[in-house]
Amino acid sequence: MSTRTEAKPRVEPSARPRAVGRRGSLTHPARTGLLLVTPAVLFVAVFVLVPLGFALVISLTNWPLIGTVEFSGVKNYTAIVSDAAFAKSVLYTLLYTVIVTGPILVLGYALAVLVRRKRRGATLLRTMFFLPFVVGLSTLSFVTVLEAQPDSGAINIVLRSLGITDGTTAWLVDGPLATGLICVLVIWGVSGLTMMLLMAGMQAIPREFYESSELDGAGWWRQEWEITIPVLRPTIAMSVIISVVGSLLAFTQFYILTRGGPGTDTTTVVQYIYNRAFVQLQLGAATALSIVLVVVVGLVTAAQFWLLREKD
Amino acid sequence: MKLKNILYVVGGGGAFLVFAIPLLWALFRSIQPNDVIVAAPDRSTFFQLTWDNFRTLIEGPGNLMRAVGNSLVVAVSTAVLTAVLATFAGYGFARFRFRSGPLLFALVVVSMMIPFQAILTPLYLEMNVLRLTDSLLGLVLFYTTVNLPFGVFVMRNSFSSVPVELEDSAHVDGCGTLRMIGSVLRPLVTPGAATVALYAFLAAWTEFLGALTFLTKDELYTLPVALVNVQAGAYGEVNFGSLVAGSVIAMIPCIVLYVGLQRFYVTGLATGAVKG
Repeated sequence: MSTRTEAKPRVEPSARPRAVGRRGSLTHPARTGLLLVTPAVLFVAVFVLVPLGFALVISLTNWPLIGTVEFSGVKNYTAIVSDAAFAKSVLYTLLYTVIVTGPILVLGYALAVLVRRKRRGATLLRTMFFLPFVVGLSTLSFVTVLEAQPDSGAINIVLRSLGITDGTTAWLVDGPLATGLICVLVIWGVSGLTMMLLMAGMQAIPREFYESSELDGAGWWRQEWEITIPVLRPTIAMSVIISVVGSLLAFTQFYILTRGGPGTDTTTVVQYIYNRAFVQLQLGAATALSIVLVVVVGLVTAAQFWLLREKD
Repeated sequence: MKLKNILYVVGGGGAFLVFAIPLLWALFRSIQPNDVIVAAPDRSTFFQLTWDNFRTLIEGPGNLMRAVGNSLVVAVSTAVLTAVLATFAGYGFARFRFRSGPLLFALVVVSMMIPFQAILTPLYLEMNVLRLTDSLLGLVLFYTTVNLPFGVFVMRNSFSSVPVELEDSAHVDGCGTLRMIGSVLRPLVTPGAATVALYAFLAAWTEFLGALTFLTKDELYTLPVALVNVQAGAYGEVNFGSLVAGSVIAMIPCIVLYVGLQRFYVTGLATGAVKG
């Protein structure tokens, strides 16, 4: 399936040239076309492009909620460099991203291998593996809150019955433990998405691709490495980008499970910006950080496209 | 061959349990009374099940049913509005040639790459000026925007795959643009529109950060934000029974819609424009 060529921004004329050689089409007049797309374009302009432009302005001021706005030049940007708390949240977010990306890809791939063929139960399995993603991280996090409680939570009950811990672990008030727990939750919760994307890609590979290697007597493992993975490269790139960008923008599961604590030990970038803007009300500074985030996410996306497509 | 089948059964079965048990466990927890949930498991009380948590949700001070209502209103409105706007725009981009077309389409696609999490602060300030904060309408407009680029994409593809000849003959019969979409093309693009609506509904139903930021009034909270209040003990003591029961209520529409409309969901993923 050519899934990801569809996902790329395509700037070529999207309308089918009809009535070639004529100025306007009788059946599809230009004005009607413009009228049809205007509402959607307006939404995007008002709620994405205007805020983005507005952000550039705000980031150059102190922008208090009450009082006069003062122009502050690039002060908000230079302050970022010496903002140790921001640096900490960046490092933490990167650490989290590094931890979860690999397992999500590997687990997603393994699940895709399980369900890609039409075998008995494959549809049921696929449905089940994807269900946590559909339920969403907010709901999964709320459920995890009570299962992470000392003594009474299921995680502790299981660990105690296996004799691994005494079951009194307070998972959510310890930085490393909470991080580990959130990573496991996320890997479990979102690898279904990677599975779906890879499965669609695998099913689109023609049988003939495997025929000659079958004649060579290549085993499953070799076929996977020599045919499936290389052919699937663009789809893999796509799913990795989706998961990395999602991790860089992580907020919900951290907010619900730890509020970024203890202290600021599990504060992600988005939560840090959220705190600066809506708790400390430093909107100018927060917006400058937002701009940095937009640029970084854009660069990561571009870099990964480039890295993972080079060998095509 | 035999070994492969054994691996499939063992691996598939094992993985199935890993994915199913936590969700089933949450279901089980929701019918345990709160004092059992917060205590170390005791054989004598662990299986005394009750609907009390759900009763508390409906009658209790947290008024979670109002939050469920808000979530439903927001999610349904978002789904309908997104599907309608995406259908119009998809038709416009797929079939009509106008000078600004390519530019406007590029604009929509580029907006897909600007994560709303990153422009939350200016967006909040703008919505404040437009009086769209603390407003369910504001939230609907915001969610619609977040889902539109993907929707426009899907609908453009849907319309592109309909043979042009079909429209030509309808035009000869004097069919206008709206009737063209509404009757001639509708059966052919309904799967696409259903996909868009389904995604928009689920995204709006589970969205957290935007709702947390744009809503500050209790009576407007959507379910995920209301559950934060339950978790924080805003309605007296922390009630884990209410929390897990509320979570189960949050899961139900997702599971029902996904399992029922899976066909559309998978098509949508295949379009490949899912945001992370």
